[in-house]
Amino acid sequence: MIDTTLDGSGAASAAPARAGYRFRRRSRALRRAFPYLLVAPAVCFLLMITLYPGAYAIYQSLFYVKFNTWQFVGLDNYRDLFADREFWAALWNTLVIGGTALILECALALLIAYYAYRDPWVKGWRIIFLVPMLFMPSAVAFIWKLAFMDGRVISDLLMRIGLIESNIGWTSSVWLSRLTLIIADVWQWTPFLFIIFVAALQGQDEEIEEAARLDGASWPAIFWNISLPMMRPVIAVAVVLRGIDITTMFANVFIMTRGTPGGSTETISYFIYRIGFKTFNFGYASAASFVMLVITLVAAQFVVKRAFRSGRD
Amino acid sequence: MASQRRSKGESLILRYFVLGGWALFCLVPVLWFLSIGLRPRTEIITPQPIYMPTFSLDAWHMIWKDWPMGYYLRNSVLAILGSVAIDLVLAIPAAYSLARYRYRGREDIGFYILSTRMMAPAIVAIPIFFLFKSMNLLDTVWALMLIYAAINLSVVTWIIRSYMLDIPKELEDAARTDGASDLRILWEIIIPAILPGIITAGVIGGIFAINEFLFTLLIASTKSAYTMSVALANFTGGSDGVIYNAIALVAFIAFVPVFLVVVAIQKHLSRGLTMGAVKG
Amino acid sequence: MRISGKLSRRSLLKGGSALGLSAIGASWGGRLLAASQLPDPQSVLDDISISKYVRADYRDLYGMSDDKPIWDKSKDWIRTADWEAVRSQLSGTTVRFAIGAADQESAAEALAPFEALSGIKVELVPIPDDSFYDKAIAEFISGNASFDALQFFSPWLGDFAAPGFLAPLDDYAAKWKLPLDDFYDTYRLNYGYFNGQMYGIPFDCDIQMVHLRKSLVEEVLGGPIDKWNSVPSYDELIRLSAELNGKKAGVAGVGLLGARGFWSTYTWEHIAAQAGMVLFDENWEPVFNGDAGMKGMDTLLALSKNAIEGFAGAGWGENRAAWLGGQVATNISWQDSGTQAMRPDQSQIVDDFVTIYEPRIDGGRFAPPNIAGSTSCVAANSQNPEGAFLMLAFLTTSSIMAMNEANANGVAPGYKSVLNNPNLQEVSQPAEVWAKSLEYAWCAPRLPGMFEMEQAIGNEINRALVGQITGKEALENATATVRNIMDRNGFYGGQPPVDYAAVAPGLWIGEGKALPF
Repeated sequence: MIDTTLDGSGAASAAPARAGYRFRRRSRALRRAFPYLLVAPAVCFLLMITLYPGAYAIYQSLFYVKFNTWQFVGLDNYRDLFADREFWAALWNTLVIGGTALILECALALLIAYYAYRDPWVKGWRIIFLVPMLFMPSAVAFIWKLAFMDGRVISDLLMRIGLIESNIGWTSSVWLSRLTLIIADVWQWTPFLFIIFVAALQGQDEEIEEAARLDGASWPAIFWNISLPMMRPVIAVAVVLRGIDITTMFANVFIMTRGTPGGSTETISYFIYRIGFKTFNFGYASAASFVMLVITLVAAQFVVKRAFRSGRD
Repeated sequence: MASQRRSKGESLILRYFVLGGWALFCLVPVLWFLSIGLRPRTEIITPQPIYMPTFSLDAWHMIWKDWPMGYYLRNSVLAILGSVAIDLVLAIPAAYSLARYRYRGREDIGFYILSTRMMAPAIVAIPIFFLFKSMNLLDTVWALMLIYAAINLSVVTWIIRSYMLDIPKELEDAARTDGASDLRILWEIIIPAILPGIITAGVIGGIFAINEFLFTLLIASTKSAYTMSVALANFTGGSDGVIYNAIALVAFIAFVPVFLVVVAIQKHLSRGLTMGAVKG
Repeated sequence: MRISGKLSRRSLLKGGSALGLSAIGASWGGRLLAASQLPDPQSVLDDISISKYVRADYRDLYGMSDDKPIWDKSKDWIRTADWEAVRSQLSGTTVRFAIGAADQESAAEALAPFEALSGIKVELVPIPDDSFYDKAIAEFISGNASFDALQFFSPWLGDFAAPGFLAPLDDYAAKWKLPLDDFYDTYRLNYGYFNGQMYGIPFDCDIQMVHLRKSLVEEVLGGPIDKWNSVPSYDELIRLSAELNGKKAGVAGVGLLGARGFWSTYTWEHIAAQAGMVLFDENWEPVFNGDAGMKGMDTLLALSKNAIEGFAGAGWGENRAAWLGGQVATNISWQDSGTQAMRPDQSQIVDDFVTIYEPRIDGGRFAPPNIAGSTSCVAANSQNPEGAFLMLAFLTTSSIMAMNEANANGVAPGYKSVLNNPNLQEVSQPAEVWAKSLEYAWCAPRLPGMFEMEQAIGNEINRALVGQITGKEALENATATVRNIMDRNGFYGGQPPVDYAAVAPGLWIGEGKALPF
């Protein structure tokens, strides 16, 4: 059901035992180089968007960029960055908003997957639950901006059921403002995890469950003690993928809050965008980009590799 | 299979309460947003929300008459098809190499490709912006194709690789005995066998491309490169303020084809979304 | 005005272009006519008229017609210019005009009459939205800009003019008799001049004002609104907005722009200017954290207590929607919130509002704030600077600007002869107050780095507005950041890039003038 290894069963060696006619006539060197040649175009293309920007960011981050004059300032941009309240706030906001959304999404997706996977209409549920995910993220941001803020719909509904007495100032409160971003994210992306979890649950061996049933275990107990542990690798992969997207959250911030109040909803992506393209301080934005690049690469080494390898042994 | 699982000992009421509740949570905002698209502008932002609006096609007429919506659609379609094509050309050989050969550095290369998925657009946005500027590609669909292709290459490669691993080796061996070259095996045996995987990879890549916002915002500046995703931002900047009914309709115009395509490949969706790690 | 609009797309004669303009353009069909084939200038000028330019629904609504001119013919540059001289000198040349994004078609239509009048061909260069500034800079630097003329957000004037990217226009203005005196001083000095030289022709001439919902405010005041006396001070506006807050379901006491970035800066500047705030002293040291700045901040914080719940996230778009949708009882915003509120296709408060004179502050001054706005300039490396200048003069001529206002498209005229025109005042509710206020206008200096500073100040003010720091702390932090940016732009070592004496006359036009009432 899960395959996260690189050593798939079908992998052949670089020199297949019975290499093809034309292939056999070529030189040994070419034969050895062949798999590299196959993968090279993709790698080169990707280097263009990673290596080149990385090098560029490092170089530019050493300058104060003002029009055509690049004034060399050494590591000043980094010194300023590490002393910049807004930079640390952006990192923290990304962690808090993303972390909360991810935990909620995971819990909700497991809950509805638990109820859905044994339901006879699971296919129908899947299609319905998919709907939010298939809207453009920028459209989703507008839906919730209108519902929470400009159109006052959420406040109005809460007033109608008597929970509050006046319109809520979502953008004035740190946590309410973050909450709007979290709800928008949960609404759109819980289906992502749900689809994966349901597939994983459906793929599990029914007989194990049946055996547990016969032993008198309840469904919640079976889910908790048997299904869930078996799903761990899947959950890891799904959470890592979702976590990656959450940490790069941009459109919701850009459209809904723009960092209000006081920067408490400014994510790191929005921070870099704002410094670079709203105040045109490119050297400084590059310094922030480079720091993020390092964090990303470190995280990629540990988190992603582990998650995608977890099914191996 | 799932439908055969019995659900004795569990409250059906609770189950349908949860599933029904979530379905409402998913659909009510969508239907409400549709009603926004079909009402006059003056009934959207009011002291108290209006739940029973006047029906109006103002926005529908506006987006086609006052805005180059045809260009936005064209740009989206071209950029997405172009980027998926680039991805498939690059990813199929790469996936074949990762799935079928054993060589030094293979794991590192595979994980390098995977790790590019982690790159936040904002991190590389500034250099990419200057790169495209120096190539004179700003505000062109070509730039969008290239950048979408780059963003999605990791996903597409890993999905295709996962499907390739499923193909029994015997199939290839038989062909090799007949003297077929590796490239011919790839073209004549592997690709036809994993066609569903290739389509899934293309669709997933296409969806990510439609959704892409930041790069498009930076690269595109006029109707010659604006896509549906960034066109939405257009309804907010001008002297007319935020035009929500137009935004709603554009959102639905982009939603419908995506929804149809995804329903068609539903079976492969979970595998695609996990880059092949979960076989649904 | 709409800043993002200014930073990016549109607004160039938007209303008009949809209607009669295309017909005007079409009637001359091909471009690049030889001088001998050009139509009679008078016939072209006759077509630049209310019946051809102003939206039909607005014409009907206000009974606008060509019999009731909304500008002064003798001050309308296109009708006084010597087009035969223009043709003999420049016919057959080309001007490239950088224009924001989506509106290149409407601009092309708007410029067709200019091509017919002058024989100059206009090519439009579409410029990116959010990267307008960056792209313009990149083109300037390359020394081979793809455009001769451009129109942009006026706080950037310092950034563009200081490094020598813009062509001085003084000689052309004198040669072609541009009616500079007809511009209000605040626009002429701040959108037109930099360091004593003319670089720009004012384009979108904005002012911030205070708007009231008539029915609600009259109910509280117990009588009709007097534009000068009913809300004489900000203290009264604070009291009034508190009383208005929630008086009618869903209607908040006051709307204001409190979002991060320059939005908050502009609202604070608006109020602090009335308390006598200046941003810099004559040595370019930031001094806005002094008493006047603090008074403005305290007033803003007090007002924000009665403000609509979303004020801390409100930029121009959000504020405009709330005002036109009837969610606020009073509003602090640009003048076009007043013009657009009259238009039934955009507004739910058509006959239920009035724009008043700027409230005063004890010990302060009457200084209605000229904030943001846009200007139009010629690139220093232009191949055809004179043609570019003439094209800008055409676009900013008083008749076309007056019709922009009549179309409520957000592009505002800055001419005395237009704003004081009684026929125009009938179709633009704020115009009367606006016209008188401009004689006393306050304006921030146009300096290199100003836009970055406005962003930085606003980020701090937004924190104060939501209670994360005190007003005092916000201004202290902002002062430190601004000093840092000024330093990087070379204001403190040796010769500063801008002479304080050069900007001083434009900062407050009301200096030494008696109050209007």
